[in-house]
Amino acid sequence: MNTPPPAGVLDAVTQEIIEGKLLAIVDEMGLVLSRCSMSPVVYEVLDFACGICSMAGDLVAQTNGITLFTGTFGTQVRSLHEKYANSLAPGDVFVTNDPYRGGTHGCDLAVVRPVFDGEVPVAYAITVAHWLDVGGAVPGSLPANADSVFQEGLRLPGVRIARDDRLVEDIVAILCENVRMPELALGDLNAQIAAVRIAEKRLQEICARYGRDTLDRACDRMLSVSEHLAREVVRSLPDGRFVASDFIDGDGRSPERIPVNVAITIDGDTMTFDYTGSAAARAAPINCSRGALHSAVKTVFKALVAPNAPANDGWFRALRVVAPEGTVFTAVKPSPTGWYYEGSAQASELAWKALAPLAPERFSAGSYMSLCATYLCGELPDGGGPFVHIEPLHGGWGATADCDGTNALIAITDGDTFNYPAELLEARFPVRVLRHGLNTDDGSGAGRRRGGLGVIREYEILADGMSLYASYGRTETPPWGVHGGEEGSRNYLEVVGRDGQTVRLARTAHHALRRGDRVRMVTGGGGGWGAAGERDAGLIASDLRDGYIDAARALRDYGFSESSARANGRR
Amino acid sequence: MGFLATDVGGTFTDLVHFDPASGRVTIAKTLTTPDDPSSGVMNAIANGQQTAGYESGEIRRFVHGGTTVINAITERKGGRTALVTTAGFRDVIEIGRGNRPDLYNLHASSPEPFVPRYLRFEVTERMDTSGQVVVPLDTASLEAIALECEREEVEAVAVVFLNSYVNPEHEIACEQVLARRLPGVAVTSSHRISRQWREYERSNTAVLNAFVMPVVDRYFARLQAALEQEGFRGPFFAMQSNGGMAGFASVRAHPLSLVESGPAGGVSGAAAVGALLGEPDLLYLDVGGTTAKCSVIRRGKPVLVSEYRLDRTRTHAGYPLQVPVVDIVEIGAGGGSIAWFDERNALRVGPRSAGSAPGPACYGLGGLQPTVTDAKLVTGVLDAASFAGGSMRLDMTAAERALQPVADRLGTDVAGAAAAVIRIAEASMLNALKLVTIQRGHDPRDLVLVASGGGGPMHAAVLARELGMRRVVIPRAPGVFSAWGMLVSAPRRDLRRTEMQAADAKAIARGRELFREMQAEAADYFATRADDLECHCAMEMRYRGQEHTVSVPCDLETWDVVAMLEAFHRAHEEAYTFRLNDARVEVVSFHLQAELETERPTRSTFAGEVDPAPGQRSRLVDFGDAGRHVAARYWRDALEPGFRTEGPAVIEEVSSTTVVLSGQVVEVDDHGLLSVWEAA
Repeated sequence: MNTPPPAGVLDAVTQEIIEGKLLAIVDEMGLVLSRCSMSPVVYEVLDFACGICSMAGDLVAQTNGITLFTGTFGTQVRSLHEKYANSLAPGDVFVTNDPYRGGTHGCDLAVVRPVFDGEVPVAYAITVAHWLDVGGAVPGSLPANADSVFQEGLRLPGVRIARDDRLVEDIVAILCENVRMPELALGDLNAQIAAVRIAEKRLQEICARYGRDTLDRACDRMLSVSEHLAREVVRSLPDGRFVASDFIDGDGRSPERIPVNVAITIDGDTMTFDYTGSAAARAAPINCSRGALHSAVKTVFKALVAPNAPANDGWFRALRVVAPEGTVFTAVKPSPTGWYYEGSAQASELAWKALAPLAPERFSAGSYMSLCATYLCGELPDGGGPFVHIEPLHGGWGATADCDGTNALIAITDGDTFNYPAELLEARFPVRVLRHGLNTDDGSGAGRRRGGLGVIREYEILADGMSLYASYGRTETPPWGVHGGEEGSRNYLEVVGRDGQTVRLARTAHHALRRGDRVRMVTGGGGGWGAAGERDAGLIASDLRDGYIDAARALRDYGFSESSARANGRR
Repeated sequence: MGFLATDVGGTFTDLVHFDPASGRVTIAKTLTTPDDPSSGVMNAIANGQQTAGYESGEIRRFVHGGTTVINAITERKGGRTALVTTAGFRDVIEIGRGNRPDLYNLHASSPEPFVPRYLRFEVTERMDTSGQVVVPLDTASLEAIALECEREEVEAVAVVFLNSYVNPEHEIACEQVLARRLPGVAVTSSHRISRQWREYERSNTAVLNAFVMPVVDRYFARLQAALEQEGFRGPFFAMQSNGGMAGFASVRAHPLSLVESGPAGGVSGAAAVGALLGEPDLLYLDVGGTTAKCSVIRRGKPVLVSEYRLDRTRTHAGYPLQVPVVDIVEIGAGGGSIAWFDERNALRVGPRSAGSAPGPACYGLGGLQPTVTDAKLVTGVLDAASFAGGSMRLDMTAAERALQPVADRLGTDVAGAAAAVIRIAEASMLNALKLVTIQRGHDPRDLVLVASGGGGPMHAAVLARELGMRRVVIPRAPGVFSAWGMLVSAPRRDLRRTEMQAADAKAIARGRELFREMQAEAADYFATRADDLECHCAMEMRYRGQEHTVSVPCDLETWDVVAMLEAFHRAHEEAYTFRLNDARVEVVSFHLQAELETERPTRSTFAGEVDPAPGQRSRLVDFGDAGRHVAARYWRDALEPGFRTEGPAVIEEVSSTTVVLSGQVVEVDDHGLLSVWEAA
């Protein structure tokens, strides 16, 4: 492999120092945002990201947060830049949450600040955070039965929200009037603005110390080195066409399975991901728009070419994404995109599935995939006002060629994303957590290496007048195995009424809850890798001892029983 | 007469002795004995006895610190541990928080729990969030669990029940049964270590405490026996991670409080240096062989984190611990850190270190890789003849040979390569220093930099200039500063209660109650009266809706609601640049820090060090950005208080070399401390 040319002694060292500083800046932005935010989904689940883009809109540094936003920043910044390039001024701050302009869904609100060195704009600082509510048909703004984007709340298609570092009161008034929890919205807006302000201050310090040109050159070089390395990896793979197909289980309005597919072409140092042939967009919130599709593909491409290096847009110059307008992955206005991450997760997994046999050192078998988001809504006791609790679930990951899959890990779409402590939930909302454990009931895909286990979380509802809505994927089509590994298990949501009746739900717009009801949120186990018959008996015995599998499953999946193992041991 | 402290590090065991009658300080260094560190400690004591001539029976206080606990955890050499927990929750310590910090790695795994699933037992019981019993504890079921623990030869048990941070009744009942049924087994109930919410974090805390308890218990028993045999009468103390010390009996029950014992000694020492100087706000930097650590001291006290993540990196979730630990940021950049090129062909330094064996190339002990120390020798900051007081001659040719490939790859000469290695190492130290200051809301320009470790004094001048800090202070004997810090620390106890409520008059009243309760608990712990304790109270507060809190020092006896709110708004603004005057405010938890007033070393004189190169007056040094100059060279012990000169200069002593840049002034003060500041 040829190495990129060194940049000369002074440059090489300054380069390393500036790259380190850029990462320190986005980390600091993330810290400020998560510490100041008022949304549990931001501060506890860490559903946000921060980044710095060049004036050309290339991402140069990003927080280590969530993969969903890997590819959205560049497009959002470019779209703003086209609109405002001639009128940018120091102290400007823009907001955008438009899914059709590089965004994801209405709840993901991006705050963007052009960074000025004196009178010259040198970069854009951007943060995106999931707002708990932006208005629309239901609290939380993600109606599972939306048939157009107009039910999904207020859209701000790239508007100036601050001028001269003062909020534009007219815009703020529109915002506050159209969301359900304005105090929370303002809190998060302030937190995001604080984060981009910090970025500006730090970038100005770099300019003062090293000069604006040095910063530009360092960014250019970082992007071109990343590009070079990505192309080297692609070149090392065999040329060819690799395909995968799968189903999205239900769109929110209808439970029917939606066929999707990808064809990946490797040609020299370029890789093309073609989603042509996937189903048309639905009049339901499962769609994602092109910006989110690009992000989904970039996530998998990054996992292939450089899983450990910091993200920037240079990595993706060797990548092409093809898909006609108007598919479930390239929705256009007014197709709803509320549950876009379910669509984009499937886009990621398709690419992953096509590439897994090609690069076993990078990929695993199929995972539980869906974030299985559950929304609990109601009123806090003692007149505490309305609440919305969003809960993404962790689940089982697929086995790899060398290891069993990981238990209870967050899906591909997220990243450094935390589950909710039961003690915190109980202190805040009228629920009691009855169980938070590994889902050994449904198990995982058997194989030479077995899939990781999902989770079961069970809540007892302690107040009347509550309701839930939810969007669970992979409720019909289980996670896939590789090289003869078995399929994993499915996700599901159950409400056990206090009358003992059990209702099974998947993507659900509204389900009323009463005190004493039990909500069981269940994720599946990942797919296996290699034939079950090749599994080491010692691993099966230790799984039995730990209770990851029971005797019946050991016998059924592996033909293993303690007595036959002892007999074998004697032979 | 005298105080004695020993600090067991990865390579050396350091000893510091102070004689209050003469004010004389003696230091000794021996090799650490990893199999049984207590024998290294006894060696150091014997060694020190020869130099200082103290009698063991005269030692009035013995303080011990080091890496015993953290090593037991990272090497997984604790006891065989079981967990007893609320039905439905035995997988909590395995699931953790389910996050994937290594987000593009599709082979990512979660931290391995310290208790395997088959040793995690569930018990029927339930407490609600307000501390009311929902389901009583099924005591009868504990019998089967005890039997299973016996059968599996379990050495330690952690007990963690949901919501025990509010009401620990069930944990207490359970631990009593288990202690009776399993004599000789170490039992840790979560509430005895932490009264904070978040069950995974508290479970992990209790489990790790239980895990290290058998090992630490044996270790301290052995050490105490050895000390007593040598005629030491005690009292015996250990350095805790909170920057204070505690008696052996206490740390044997709460061994996890020692997790960052060594670094905490240095932080405590820095606070003591600040007290000598009348400087309450400091930034402390310790550069050793493998890592650089930094920490902030505010208002004369170490800044603590209430939740510490062991082993957390950009790609690994790590293990959260709810024990008070000084807020330390540690990075892999020390004297032995190796320079290398990554896949982008970019020059990197650390985290891999040549350690002490083979050590940097210039040690001539077989090391071939270029390290920061080699770069320091080539730039002239270190001198081949006078290094380590002349006890070890450095090999310039070996250093140059090691750096040559770096030079070739960068297209420069060896001198250029050495300067580049130092710049990279200092850039990562700068990022760490900014993380503990700027990112936590402290302006480094208001702070004094205290630098220790063999490497701290070599980098301090450059780092302080870069951060615009007003002054650098180099303590005496920087190479054994952690041990000295242990010697001057006080017994301390940190207590916390999570009790969420609106910030109103009722909260003030409740806070008074809780602080009185915690003061009584602390007094009990020290077996003294509450009046003998110096107590600091703080409340963790936030805007309603926020999750993370700001620590607000408080004076509840005089506060009214207006004063409380204003103190919070101000603290929030200092930390995060904005305040929300109209938003509602909440109190989440109450924190008491109690310190027992004890006699501490005051004026001290250090035993003299002999200059190995008395004829050397100057040498050529490459100071990086500050230029290449002929620098004056001094032997620190030859300088009298009041000595003052301008940079460029290097001031050598046995354990380190202090760098003074052109444009800076250095002065020796009455305490023998070196102070460096910008001339202009």
